[in-house]
Amino acid sequence: MDRETVERVARTAHIRLTEEELERYSGDLGDILGYFELLDEAPNCDSYGIDPIGVADVTRDDEPRMTIDADRLLRDMNTYERYVRGPRLS
Amino acid sequence: MKIGLEIHVQLPTRSKMFCSCPTTDAPAPNTHVCPTCLGMPGSRPVLNRKVLEYGIMLAKMLGCRVNDTTWFSRKTYFYPDMSKSVQITQYDNPIGEGGVYYMDGKKPIRITRIHVEEDPGKTKRVGDLSSLVDYNRSGIPLAEIVTEPDLTSPAEAREFLKQLIEDIRHVIDLPGDGERSIRCDCNISVGKERCEVKNVTGLKNVERALTYEVIRQTKILKAGGKIDRETRRFDEERGVTISVRKKEFEADYGYIDEPDLGVYHIRELADSIKIKESPQKMALRMSQQYGIDQRMAKQLVSTSVDLAELFETVASRHGTQSAVKWVAGPVSSNWKSLETSGADVSDVMGIIDRFAAGEITDTECGIEIKCLMTGEDIESAKGAAGDLDKLVSDYLDQNPGIIDDYRKNDKAANKAIGFVMKNSGGSYSSAEVVEAVRRLIESRL
Amino acid sequence: MSYLQRLKDINAKYGMFHAMTDETDAGESRFLFSAKDNLTSLDMETCAGSRILQGYVPAFDAAAIERMKAAGGMLVGKTNMDEFGFGTFSANSAYEIPRNPFDRERSCGGSSGGSACAAAVLEGHVSLGVSTGGSICCPASFCGVYGIAPTYGRVSRYGLIDYGNSLDKIGVLSAKASDLRKYITIMAGRDERDPTSCVQPELKSERRRMKSVAVPKDGIQGLSGDVEAAFNDSIETLRSMGIDVEEVDMPSFRYAIPAYYVIATSEASTNLARYVGMRYGVQEGDLSLKFDDYFSSIRSASFGDEAKRRILLGTFTRMVGYRDRYYAKARQVRQLVIDDYKRILQDHDAVLTPTMPYVAPRFDEIERMSALDSYKTDYLTVPPNLAGNPHLSVPCGYDGNGMPIGMQFVGAHWDEDVLFTMAEEWEKAFDMRRPEVEA
Repeated sequence: MDRETVERVARTAHIRLTEEELERYSGDLGDILGYFELLDEAPNCDSYGIDPIGVADVTRDDEPRMTIDADRLLRDMNTYERYVRGPRLS
Repeated sequence: MKIGLEIHVQLPTRSKMFCSCPTTDAPAPNTHVCPTCLGMPGSRPVLNRKVLEYGIMLAKMLGCRVNDTTWFSRKTYFYPDMSKSVQITQYDNPIGEGGVYYMDGKKPIRITRIHVEEDPGKTKRVGDLSSLVDYNRSGIPLAEIVTEPDLTSPAEAREFLKQLIEDIRHVIDLPGDGERSIRCDCNISVGKERCEVKNVTGLKNVERALTYEVIRQTKILKAGGKIDRETRRFDEERGVTISVRKKEFEADYGYIDEPDLGVYHIRELADSIKIKESPQKMALRMSQQYGIDQRMAKQLVSTSVDLAELFETVASRHGTQSAVKWVAGPVSSNWKSLETSGADVSDVMGIIDRFAAGEITDTECGIEIKCLMTGEDIESAKGAAGDLDKLVSDYLDQNPGIIDDYRKNDKAANKAIGFVMKNSGGSYSSAEVVEAVRRLIESRL
Repeated sequence: MSYLQRLKDINAKYGMFHAMTDETDAGESRFLFSAKDNLTSLDMETCAGSRILQGYVPAFDAAAIERMKAAGGMLVGKTNMDEFGFGTFSANSAYEIPRNPFDRERSCGGSSGGSACAAAVLEGHVSLGVSTGGSICCPASFCGVYGIAPTYGRVSRYGLIDYGNSLDKIGVLSAKASDLRKYITIMAGRDERDPTSCVQPELKSERRRMKSVAVPKDGIQGLSGDVEAAFNDSIETLRSMGIDVEEVDMPSFRYAIPAYYVIATSEASTNLARYVGMRYGVQEGDLSLKFDDYFSSIRSASFGDEAKRRILLGTFTRMVGYRDRYYAKARQVRQLVIDDYKRILQDHDAVLTPTMPYVAPRFDEIERMSALDSYKTDYLTVPPNLAGNPHLSVPCGYDGNGMPIGMQFVGAHWDEDVLFTMAEEWEKAFDMRRPEVEA
């Protein structure tokens, strides 16, 4: 995979790469994608699912319910007056 | 000019879309939250069935083709309010596709698709140093309605939204304060290239943002410039749009199907769901069915669908004329006072029945209806109304030309209305005067 | 259950546990168990082998752990693993790398390496593993224990820290064959908190015996000499037990590896998007950075090498312009593999191959492998995982250095019963060795 593509992919994935990593991953991903060319040879198949067992039509009723205390969930979070702290927006 | 909208409407479920947290107003930030809507590791989504039902209702209302099978996809993007950095939405096979919405019952606005998805949380800026996030809204179900670029002006876009929201509110029983919670992504092109103004809240702001864009884009084109394809945001306070990112830096959402949910076969559910007639459709049908003016039909429906339904009941029992005379007359003009008087409007039927049977006069019928609606005392009303009727009748006797003019254009009544208002010294409300003038002119036609 | 007092000493030698209990007395508990560290455990730190989750103390038990506790189990530790399950040797970890009970210079296999290690070392112990592409059978084979990954959707994934949601399965590792039936039965069943668990038929326990197994020709290619010899001996043993063994063609077999890595990394890269240095795990960073920069800095500093590689790969394979060639095609190939298993399992009770092509490698050998080399190592365990079929690894021999060798039976969807029975019968026929444990 060429460096430009790796850089674009990394930016999309929010991973910052060092020069050394960029070099190494370009090589690794190139090898791996080369091997994946096998997929092009495989026959096509019209009917395929999201999962291997055909999960369908599982829903729940519209009933409000809280089973875990929100305070317990916030306990280990970095918060300010119950707001979760986050980075600068712009 | 081409305008297309992506309209987000919060659906009125009791619990969130993929978890059971309540959707009611929360007492404090991050109280209606659980591992799922906070995106904690190990949590999982389970779909609220009601969301599918609302989605199908809206798809039907918009004349969309409801897909036999629908499923969800993951849209990956990074923002502090999106707890999983993944929004569960629909990509392939949304609930509905290929619909059309008739503005004013006439102008077709094509609907590309309607799908359902989860709302992110809310962010708050803290100076320029960091942000604060409240995930109470995270996971509230949304319907997204996408139109083709069939709208041709900012004002038309606003009018379209107004009618659409009125219909949506009626069909899925959206709470009345829904307008502020309507959020739009507005696509607009004056020339060839289009810009998207993201996340504009409320009808007025949609028109403002679009108007700003029309002016901005026109200026650039006139100066021989080129419009950049880009995403912008609307600054409500300053009334301007601001570039957020150019097209080439658009996020690649990398959609994949959501493996935690499976698929939904919704054909049977869709067939079993009957939706209420939308207000716009009802107005159109009534105008055609009863041969009444479209403005009158719209007026009735937008005052209240209950009022329009009463019109239909009276029309079926006593004919359209009676319905126009009484329902579009005194019932309609006093509709607002129902709230304070708490009267049961169906009692109007008994009064009209007695009029039809000849038991009460024209004038008495009008007064009784008014008193029922407002809770006023009949005897004093009769006196006052007698005076009002006399004032109107005297004027019409002296100006018989008004009756002929009225036949051509009902605005002729305004002359009489103006006279009576001026000479009655404020004893009657304008609604009462309008009603009396129209009733007495109609009786002379 | 005497090992509770010695737990820390044992762990110092083998490194199987991340978090551990401080209890030294089993109290009323009916059994002791451990669980892979990607299953959330109430008030016990859960990191899934990743530094980015350091300090995450879940507010809820995973469904599997909850059911084990309800059956009288006591959770003694969370087992070390490859970061988020990304690996074949449990060496891609921010924490301790478990060492093979038969030779501590060698790997336990992965990614449930700590679980296999605990099952091999601790007397009467059962450990919960998770398999995405072979992460139960591989370490079971390298550590010489029994391991089963049931059908996809058999055990609720509520509380499982996702790798590939359409592939992940929770299973059991133990030195005792009958534990597989016992504990899978405890954990199986519908759970309304995981929709994919809600379409399963009842888990049967009819003790149906295997009559015939199919060996795909591609599944006996590329084996080391020791593995091939042990496998051939085992086939003779199976025949002597009255089981037919027949070679078959499985055309989709060779496509399974690329299809698996595309689907697994596509899903993984979306699952890992949530780790941005907010809400849990690593949260100390400079919040005055713009969010894009803040997220990138935390992620770059806290994900390990293999996690980054798989995030990049999976982000690429679902990008506009590449999605059809990779992600969409991989899902078609998955269907071909499912269909091939269905066809073969109409005439046979299981598909049989060795579990791994070689015995547990030494850590210095692992260091010399490329990423692609180690991906290809999974070619025997990936097909059943891709197809969601239940699969069992049983110990079936030892090489000249005494390192264990395993073989893998793949059953039809929902037919765990025939695999349980196979394990129970095999235990009677096979002379299993236990490692010498001294702490």
